[in-house]
Amino acid sequence: MQNGAKDPAGPGAIFPSGGPARHRLDWGRSGLSARAQRVAHAVTEAMLSDDGEGGQLVPGSPAACARAVAWLDDALGRSSPDLRRGFAFISLVIDWLPLFVIGTPGRMSFLPLDRRVAYLEALEASRIGWLPMLLVAFKVPLSMAAFEDGAELASTGFDRPTTVARRKLAARATPATRASLPVQPTRATLGDGA
Amino acid sequence: MSGEIPSSDPIAHGRDLPRGFDEGCDVVIIGSGAGGAVMAAHLAEAGLRVLVLEEGPYFRADEYKNFTPSQTVGRIFREAGLLTAFPVGQTPIIALTVGRAVGGSSVLTGGVCFRIPGEVHHRWVAELGLGELSERALEPAYDDVERRMSVREVPAAMRSESTNRFVEGAARLGIGMEPIRRNTGDDCEGNGRCNFACPASAKRSVDVSYLPGALAHGARVVSDALVSRVLVENGRAAGVEGRILGGAAGAPSHRFTVRAPVVVAACGTVHTPLLLQASGLPDRAGVLGRNITLHPAVRIAARFDEPVNGWDGAMQAVYSDHYAEEGIKLMGVYTAVNILAAGFPGVGPAFRKRVRQMPRCGVFGAMIHDEGGGTVRPGPGREPILSYEMAPRDLDRLRRSVTILSELALAAGAREVFTSIFGFPPITSMDEARRMERARYDAKRIECMAFHPLGSARASNDPRRGVVDQSGESFELPGLFVADGSILPTSIGVNSQVPIMSMATRIAWRLAERFPRLQARSKATGDVGRLALAV
Repeated sequence: MQNGAKDPAGPGAIFPSGGPARHRLDWGRSGLSARAQRVAHAVTEAMLSDDGEGGQLVPGSPAACARAVAWLDDALGRSSPDLRRGFAFISLVIDWLPLFVIGTPGRMSFLPLDRRVAYLEALEASRIGWLPMLLVAFKVPLSMAAFEDGAELASTGFDRPTTVARRKLAARATPATRASLPVQPTRATLGDGA
Repeated sequence: MSGEIPSSDPIAHGRDLPRGFDEGCDVVIIGSGAGGAVMAAHLAEAGLRVLVLEEGPYFRADEYKNFTPSQTVGRIFREAGLLTAFPVGQTPIIALTVGRAVGGSSVLTGGVCFRIPGEVHHRWVAELGLGELSERALEPAYDDVERRMSVREVPAAMRSESTNRFVEGAARLGIGMEPIRRNTGDDCEGNGRCNFACPASAKRSVDVSYLPGALAHGARVVSDALVSRVLVENGRAAGVEGRILGGAAGAPSHRFTVRAPVVVAACGTVHTPLLLQASGLPDRAGVLGRNITLHPAVRIAARFDEPVNGWDGAMQAVYSDHYAEEGIKLMGVYTAVNILAAGFPGVGPAFRKRVRQMPRCGVFGAMIHDEGGGTVRPGPGREPILSYEMAPRDLDRLRRSVTILSELALAAGAREVFTSIFGFPPITSMDEARRMERARYDAKRIECMAFHPLGSARASNDPRRGVVDQSGESFELPGLFVADGSILPTSIGVNSQVPIMSMATRIAWRLAERFPRLQARSKATGDVGRLALAV
């Protein structure tokens, strides 16, 4: 936890600390219940899982999962009560649907990692349009926070140290020199002014 | 609650105020985005005492330039970027980008600047009788906005290689691309993440380009100030009241009242109708909060053999109106890498593998000129509920857009295309792209976004068909003006920043001229006492 802010997670929370950096104007209010945090953590762990060196499935890193869940908790904490209620509802739904989607009894947050991945893949591929969107409601905000830092950011191939870092321009000196930069790779000029 | 605003700061953080306030001014403006900030600047420059009330927080430009994308989303996007339009019938779930901070959504745009197309102006004049909103009538306002915002064409050198690939693919298919104009002056470095705040402070959003001028002429701004209703006295707008958001945990909200003969609602298309309804404004035309257009948009990511590192370059640099007759606008686009990662398909190892391919991926988008099927209603809490029923024609356009974008990518040499339709495998051939357009599937499987909600309090020349007249003044409540995207009478098919600002400019110019008369009318009726509007 940075800047001495209070831990946004309540008792029983998945992540004991490690929330997003605080600004003086941040509300510092938790938006996810401990149960919803567990669900979000289970989704993140499966979503970020990868093949290990031996070919086994490895869960997403604890740091990335904690970062993602902490961001969602914080972001919902500063949003409207309507949105918080909505997220509480869909966290229940995504947790209880495995039986109906992949035929596996039990809650998503208690499934083994490979079954969780299979379940989330099935949600994404479902022909019932609401189900992919159920996944997206978690995947987009959690991925955004997860891939913003650490090994996850590095895995994108982004060649700047942070997402805030500015582009290294050879001719940053003046706007005029920037405007006169050569057009990038020559293949690109085909469509200019077409 | 009594007295003036207990702060000497030109922009007061509402949550820091020790008490509420009861202020008076000439014009009170609700909202500090593309409409409100423009109104504030022009009216303050005209010598009027202006107070701007902004529901969101105030972050200085030199603060938010250092926000990571997720910090920007959490702090400046309304509902932490999770605002969506609830789908009705065969309609995608549409994610909406709306700002909630001093500067409003202008802080979150890609900086793209279009004027309203001539054919749209022509329709307004010829079919809707809006002669005062002709292209010629708005020309001085367009010029003023573009000058203040330093609108420039994006030079070819600022195009990313992602954009270049699509330009190349388009050329091979005989599709022309044109450079986009943006409000970045000559300062754009091509950091590729404008809509999460520009790290180079190049983008001239209204908190940078307009509010400083307003403050220099005596205007004041209070952030965290949620207006709950417009006060009405003798059938005229007489001010507003509301409460301060935030503050110490558990402490009661401070309340405020602002008395002014002119009230300007500039809360945006989603929230302005709610404020008008909460203020008891009758909706005799039956259009308040209805017929909202969104410009629904889709994007695709295409994987090439070689790295394109699309993050190096302007986020948006080119567009094409090749398919304008079909209501489709092609737009070059990129964004922050962690946001792009979130949009890649798959879960687990398949997802991670695709994210690792990001350096070789280009991105392009399209938005459609929709008929408008949005309705906004009060929700159970503070936020409204926005529903949207997409016209069958618009759904076809959206599906067609995905095919066109895929064809562009494949023509440029892409190996596979990740579309925005869930559950479909990546596209690897033109035939597959065309088959996808013909395929029948649930519209909710289309990942769709929108950035330009418009038209919930339409301007008209007839009170039976609109909410405000061509000068932005309410038909039902004299002294109440609306100056945001809600007054646009139809979909415009282009990014809405400059159109909203130009409409606001024109409204402000006319209001400044008329203010002495408005003030006199207000004073003439001001001692009769407060009356409720008959609904």
